[in-house]
Amino acid sequence: MPTYVLTVNGSRRSVEAADPEMPLLWVLRDRLGLTGTKYGCGVGVCGACTVHVDGKAMRSCQVPVSSLPGHAVTTIEGLSKDGAHPCQQAWLEEDVAQCGYCQPGMIMTCAAKFDALQGVQGRPARATRESVEAAVSEHVCRCGTYARIRRALDRLWGTA
Amino acid sequence: MSGPGPNSGSSSRRDFLRASALGGAALLLRVPILLPEEAHDAGRGFAPNKWITIDGNGAVTLVASRAEMGQGVRTALAMILAEELEADWKTVTVVTPSPGERYPGMRTGGSGSVSGYWMPLRKAGAAAREMLVAAAAESWGVPAAECRARAGAVVHARSGRTLGYGALATKAAAAGRPVPKEPALKPESEFRLLGTRVPRIDGPGIVTGRAVYGLDARPLNGAALVAVIARCPVPGGRVRSFDGSHASAIPGVRRVVPISTGVAVVADDTWSALRGRDALRVDWDEGENRAGSSEAYWARLREAAAGGRVTRSDGDPARALSGSAKRLEATYDYEFQAHAPVEPMNCFADVRPGRCTIRVGTQAPNQAQAAAAKLLGIPPESVTVEVPLLGGGFGRRLDHDYVPEAVELSRAIAAPVQVVWTRQDEFENDRFQPASTNALSAGLDAEGRLVAWRHKNTSFHLTQFGPFAPDDPDTYDGNPWGVFDNPYRVPNLSSEYAEAKAPVPTGSWRSVAYPSTVFARECFLDEAAQAAGKDPVAWRLALLEGGGVLRVGEYEIQRERLAAVVRLAAEKSGWGRPLATGRGAKRRAGRGVAANVYHGRTHVAQVAEVSVGDAGDVRVHRIVCAVDCGQVVNLAGVEGQVESGIVWGLSAALKTEIGFRDGRVQAKSFRDYPVLRFDETPAIEVHVVRSTEAPGGMGEPPVPPVAPAVANAIFAATGRRVRRLPVRAADLV
Repeated sequence: MPTYVLTVNGSRRSVEAADPEMPLLWVLRDRLGLTGTKYGCGVGVCGACTVHVDGKAMRSCQVPVSSLPGHAVTTIEGLSKDGAHPCQQAWLEEDVAQCGYCQPGMIMTCAAKFDALQGVQGRPARATRESVEAAVSEHVCRCGTYARIRRALDRLWGTA
Repeated sequence: MSGPGPNSGSSSRRDFLRASALGGAALLLRVPILLPEEAHDAGRGFAPNKWITIDGNGAVTLVASRAEMGQGVRTALAMILAEELEADWKTVTVVTPSPGERYPGMRTGGSGSVSGYWMPLRKAGAAAREMLVAAAAESWGVPAAECRARAGAVVHARSGRTLGYGALATKAAAAGRPVPKEPALKPESEFRLLGTRVPRIDGPGIVTGRAVYGLDARPLNGAALVAVIARCPVPGGRVRSFDGSHASAIPGVRRVVPISTGVAVVADDTWSALRGRDALRVDWDEGENRAGSSEAYWARLREAAAGGRVTRSDGDPARALSGSAKRLEATYDYEFQAHAPVEPMNCFADVRPGRCTIRVGTQAPNQAQAAAAKLLGIPPESVTVEVPLLGGGFGRRLDHDYVPEAVELSRAIAAPVQVVWTRQDEFENDRFQPASTNALSAGLDAEGRLVAWRHKNTSFHLTQFGPFAPDDPDTYDGNPWGVFDNPYRVPNLSSEYAEAKAPVPTGSWRSVAYPSTVFARECFLDEAAQAAGKDPVAWRLALLEGGGVLRVGEYEIQRERLAAVVRLAAEKSGWGRPLATGRGAKRRAGRGVAANVYHGRTHVAQVAEVSVGDAGDVRVHRIVCAVDCGQVVNLAGVEGQVESGIVWGLSAALKTEIGFRDGRVQAKSFRDYPVLRFDETPAIEVHVVRSTEAPGGMGEPPVPPVAPAVANAIFAATGRRVRRLPVRAADLV
């Protein structure tokens, strides 16, 4: 069976996969036991499976394992030590989560935008706020925590 | 708010790390679970009842025996216990038990957890507190009346002495110390936790990805298999024959097994199982629904609307209608809806000789246990059910159809297995909220007073609760919600209900029958107000004037409490003042109001502000909600449920419906069932009435007024009545 060497949360992991198209989502969940990345739709619509690949938010259900060697994957478990990332903190401060199932994906999308913002100081804040709102709008939260996500974004980006 | 908080059962300090041998491999699972034997283990400390354990270090473990699906029940139930116990909230760990004789009432629905457990948990906490106080008083040789419990310790103020609960645990647990049966409850004025905003205890686990949901509760790497099931695309259909040879050829696929609900493809991992299912060839007997369609189902509903029964009759509605100066009639239609929780159904089952372990996110743990026991022919106590967090419930997980198929499969393959549903499985095999139609008539007298009201709701029956039984008196008892318990004062009023046999599986959906009936009632009320030349808020207040208690069936509806939230929502929304939204743009703007009393318990009024473009496109800009749910347990929870319920209600009001063609559910993904997103969410303002009445529940009550408030606002903006949901742009141009 073909073996792929991946970098996940800073560690090198070898993964056997018969099918080169096996999505990263199932590699993480079923092979590596990283269940913080959630399955919601499998067709890239809901965003629950969002992770970072080289710092960019990607839907792990749409990323084949064979495309990953040489790239760095970060999951919600690796976003920070003990939930210290500003996005995770903002989520706790605003008590955002309800069932919480979609929230790791939401946070990973938000964190990718936030971390990029840190790297491009000087760009108008308004544009980045619009950009994160557009990205979050590509996610589904059936509990409807959007009002609190908005408040978490207010903390992170400043009031809209 | 971000300071140290209590521990979720799945957070680090007191993880229940459990090892069990499954398929020859050790399983370490972090699930907020308390096994029955642990609950009985009073030897670890002070355990005066099944809800509370305090160990020698003062660590407090509280049991919340309801399913956590985002409604915050683990936090809320623990708060009730902790308040009376005078526990230090920072030292509290909350665990979810397994169902059984000790925890028979875990079924979680009907917004009934807080209201049902309010007094039992207060008494449990207060009894434990009194025992701890007695133990401290004995230690000091002072009267118990001079001692006071406060934040995890007992204090003797006169001598300045303090003993922590940890130090008192052994003494409090001393044999022979009676558990007070009627302990003194704290007066509401001394509540320090209840009524405040307390962050969800599961928050830290959720934002770090450590929280465990059903789908996460499967051992890895061959220790347990995963299965997907090919089910007939037409509800009610069966397997005629299948060819599993191509599926079996997919690497990772272990078995292809026919079971009651279809053909299971069992594999080492989810992806292999999915690929295997894609390669499976099944010849389906699609059954009697093969020609089913939305049109056919609606025709069946319209036909059933001719029958039915009167379930409440005040005065003489028929005579009053015929004698009224002005008569109105209208029909309001409501479509099929799906639950679509983001975590699809799943169930892990490990069947062994004479016993079984199930891990499943379900709102019905006791029923799941009973179903597994029945299937296996073993006693319920031989079935251990572990309930992790639910990735959304909304009534879908109040049914337990996803449990027996996993048990059946584990038995068939003699191995532990998790059955996983895909998103498409989820849509195709939901227990839908049924479509329903409402026929209303109203009569006004010469002075424009509402003197007659008839409301007949016709709905498909809920298959979740049994077969179609139109002759059963229970079918009509207290039904239809929202019609039978119409809170308004109309001298001649009739509530009628007709039922049609459901063509597809149907079940509880957040607030069940209310969304359709309250949409119809509150919109038609506005039609009557318009006919009478009255303002919609003033009209409702006039119909609630004089207060009093309306007694219908089991309900006691306090009209003044409903009037108070209508007034509050109107005031906070700026009712009657010019609207900011829509100004300067080519959009017509309007406000609308709607209100409801949920099962006589929770009173909600909402004012929506909308604008409508030339193409009939609707934007909801703001919703102001006033709520009186009695005593507030967790204010953050109440506010969160209002926000959540409004977003939920907006999806069905504006965007989603389940259609059928050729017997098949048309929606396959969130593309076809486009629930509300972040950028479509209005500003939501929540105003909570302070009350010391018994708590009324909050998960469902915010949903019903959303659609009619929006529809009434659309009328205010456009002059067009919305009489079917979801709102269609074509109806507004």
